Parts: sequence; C-alpha cells; structure tokens
Amino acid sequence: MAALIEAKDLTKKYGAHVALDRATLNIEAGRIVGLIGPNGAGKTSALRAILGLTNYEGQLTVLGREPFRDRTALMNECCFIADVAVLPSWLRVDQAIDFVAGVHPRFRRDRALGLLAKTQITGKRRMRELSKGMKTQVHLALTMAIDAKLLVLDEPTLGLDILARRAFYDALVNDYMDETRTILITTHQVEEVENLLTDIIFIDRGRIVLDTSLEDVATRFTAVAVTADRLEAARAAKPYYERHILGKVVLYFESVDAGKLAAFGELHTPSVSDLFVAKLSGGAA
Amino acid sequence: MNTSTWLIRREFWENRAIWVIPVVFGAMLILAALFGQVSIPKLTTPAEMHEAAGAFQVVVGAMFYVVMSVYATWYLLDCLYADRRDRSILFWKSLPISDAKTVLIKLLVGMILIPLVYFAAADATALMGAFILSIRARASLGSALWQPEAWWDIQVLWMYCIITTAIWYLPIAGWLMLVSAWAKRAVMLWSVLPPLVAYIFERVFFGTHLIGHTLTRRLMGLPAVAFNNAKHVWTQGSAGVDNGSLAIRAWDLINPSGFFTSAETWIGAAVGIVLIVGAIQLRMRRSEI
Repeated sequence: MAALIEAKDLTKKYGAHVALDRATLNIEAGRIVGLIGPNGAGKTSALRAILGLTNYEGQLTVLGREPFRDRTALMNECCFIADVAVLPSWLRVDQAIDFVAGVHPRFRRDRALGLLAKTQITGKRRMRELSKGMKTQVHLALTMAIDAKLLVLDEPTLGLDILARRAFYDALVNDYMDETRTILITTHQVEEVENLLTDIIFIDRGRIVLDTSLEDVATRFTAVAVTADRLEAARAAKPYYERHILGKVVLYFESVDAGKLAAFGELHTPSVSDLFVAKLSGGAA
Repeated sequence: MNTSTWLIRREFWENRAIWVIPVVFGAMLILAALFGQVSIPKLTTPAEMHEAAGAFQVVVGAMFYVVMSVYATWYLLDCLYADRRDRSILFWKSLPISDAKTVLIKLLVGMILIPLVYFAAADATALMGAFILSIRARASLGSALWQPEAWWDIQVLWMYCIITTAIWYLPIAGWLMLVSAWAKRAVMLWSVLPPLVAYIFERVFFGTHLIGHTLTRRLMGLPAVAFNNAKHVWTQGSAGVDNGSLAIRAWDLINPSGFFTSAETWIGAAVGIVLIVGAIQLRMRRSEI
C-alpha cells in the first residue's frame, strides 16, 4: 500500500537553529503512529510541515499532496488537533458546529451532536465558560465527526488532568479508529500512548532515531536482566544501553539473537518508554 | 451557504462590536434628540427645510463616519493578530479554507461591511432623530426635517463615501493587515513606528519630506480628490436662486470622474494590493505567536 505520508530529507530551519535535519519517514494507512521525542526534538516542526502550516526544505507528500502548497485541499481529508486549548474563547458550541458543518464537506453534524450528547455541554455555552476538559470534548467531537483519512494530534492532552486524558484516548480508540483511518500523535509522555500505538518514530535533535512497528520491536529489541556474575560476558555482546535498577543490571540489545541472550539472564521485550529512554540516552552517550 | 458566507458570519460572531457600537452610538444620539437642549430654528420656506434636513443628516452621517473610521482601523489591525495571539489560528487552519480567502473576507468586512452597518445605523438614527425633532419643534410631521430629496442625497453620498473610502484607503488597510499578520506583539506600535521612523530618517538624512507628504496626502487627501470644493458649490448653488435650489445636492458635491481618473487613486490601490498579497503570504507562514 502506498504511504500516506512520505518525507524525504525533510529539513526546517529557524535562522541558525535546525529544527528538522533531513528527516526521512513513511507512514502507511491504517496505523496509529506515535512521533515521540523530548521537548525541542523537532516533533512540532515535523507536524507543522505535514499539516502545511509552515514551509520546509526537502520532499514531503501527505495523501499525495504537497502540504504547504495544497493545505486547503489537504484539510478536506486530514484534520488535526494541535493542542486542545485553541478553540477561540468567544465561540459558542452551536456556532462551532454550524461553522464546521458549513465549511467542511466531510463533517457529519449528527455524529458531532451524538458525541456532545454524551457530555454535560450545551450548545449555547461559550468556549471561555468551559473547563479545559470540556473544551477538549468539544474539539474532539468536532474533529471525530469529520470523515478524515488522517488525524494528527500534537501533544493533545497537554494540561489535562488524568481523567480527561484517559477519556480523550478512550474516545479516540473506541469511537474513532478503524482500518480506513490513520492517526499520528506527538507526545513526550510516552507511557500515556504506548498501549494504543502500532508504530513508533523516535525523533531527537531534528533527526529520526528510530522508525519501526511495535511488532518489530518485539523481534528486534531485547532487554535482559543480567545477574552480576554474567555481566562481563553480556557486555561483550554489545548492548547499546545499560540500566541499573535496585542492584540489578538491565542490558538493552538491538538485533541480537534472543537464544544467545537467554544465557545471560531473564529476557523481556522493552516497553516503549524503556526503549525511548534507552535509545535517546544511549545515542547521546 | 458557501465558505465565504460562513467566514463573514464568523467575523460578526467574533466582533459583536461591529453592530453594538453603532447601535449604542445611535441610541445615545436619539436620547440626545429626545431630552437634549436643542434649539430648532424656525423653518419657513421649503428651501430652508430642505437645507436643514440635508445638513442634519450630513452631521449625523459624519459623526457615524468618524466612529466607523476609528473602529474599522482597529478591526483591520486586530483581525489577523487576534487568532494568532490566542492560538485559535490552529483551529481555523485545520479547516479547508485558504489563507487568501480568510484574509480577503476580513478585508471585505473591514472596508465594505462595517461601513454598511454604520450607514444603516446612521440612516435609522437620522430618520428617528428627524422625526423626534419635528415633533419637539411642533412642526407638522413630514414637512420640517423629513425631506425625501435630502434623504436620497444622503444615500448617494454614503454609498459614494463607502466606495471611495475603500479604494482610497486600500494601502492603509493593506498595511494594517500586514502588521496584523506579522507582529508578535504591540500591533498598534508596529503600525505607526515604521512610517514614523522612515519619515524622520528621510528628514534628517535627506532633508526632504516626500514620505511625510505622501502619508499626509493619503490620510487627509480623500475629500480633495473625491469631492468638489464644497464652498465653491455652495456659493454657486445659492447665487441668485431662491426657490428651493438653495440646498446643495449630492450630485454637485461628489466628483466621481475626478476620483476614478486620478493616478493617485490607482497607484494607492496598487500599493494596497501588494500589501494585501504580503499579508496573505505571512498568514500562510506564521501561525501562533
């Protein structure tokens, strides 16, 4: 299947600062992809480029279009929530629905109303009167009522409490996601999204550090809890990261045969957060 | 309804001041007409009545025009800045609406629709005011301040004013929108500072006043380009005639052939278009602050 997002040598500079440094990535349809990186790694720059909000160097096609040149057409098939707190304070809920219904050919009003009916929010309320969690619900209802092929979420739960965050991701997975859709999420809170992702892309200092599916993670990466007496032997197998927890040492290996590693200790597949920490601090060392 | 209509509605939702200010201003004028200390001169001849009615409507209209100019200036300066400041631009840009359309609709609202709202409010206020003052002066209704001819004159004058203002001030509007799309803060300051610095720079280093003259001419020159000399018309019109032609007719005042053939008009409009294209380009590249 053709890739939904194809980027080759994508570069974005702000003066002397290079926010994206020849990033190359492919995202296929039907996936839930996490674009993960520390603050200032270039996540937002990558998303801005993908959404046509900024110009860039290099090649980039999203749904077969050049985003910066074709943003208007792209937004017919792609929608995004860049931080949930951006609905204007003066806008009323019913006005928001009317407006989006008026300008978006793929918006389904009944769906938006259905989603809002599950909440306490009434149409005459203005955004400034709503809590941040309620605003999220409105924005999510507006966005999920659009029949889009690609949904992009940039730090979507920033500033939300744990209940609102959980509700946000539950709604996303249960009410929205199906095989015709693709979701791209950026976040620096890995734990929050790792259970729903199918693919992960790590980005650090403007470069793509890792781009893999979670199925591949299991075969490619192994973490071994090594006992002290076997530590030297295990180290000889070239782990890329080492972590000391409560007197135990966990070594992280990439593309090393699991059968060989089993001799050193207990094996497990690293979680996305483990991988993230390992990959990023390991790469820096 | 199409996208443009929805964009216009959105401007009226966001900027309720567009109609609240003229309504409140009109209500204040009507209160003044109702309870204010007004001395209404005795009007006897039809010519006097026509003149008084025309003058009354012109005065009301001029007051609305001044308020409208101030508000429209503020609107244009704020319109592209407001949603960058509160980051709602990220919501608007998630919808399939081009930046060119967004900018042009805001220009249309600032230069045509806001003046039309003020025009309607001025008209309603002048009519109600005339009605009230006629009763207070104990004149028979419909004869003192209600003069259909004078009323038609005002409609012509207003429409002409709206069209000429929109074309003449296009470079100013373009500049305000450019600043609005560009500045990270203090739009008011940024709109005034660069021209001021350029003016001082030219004065100090070249000893000339070209920028100052050009700007002053643009800000103040509309009456000279778009209208005939009012004093001249007045003396011509009143000379030796005493049967109703005393009042100035709108057609004598306005100078469309002069305005629409003036190079100044179209050079300014061209500069305005360049600035607006610049504002659109900035709108495409700059998102939240």
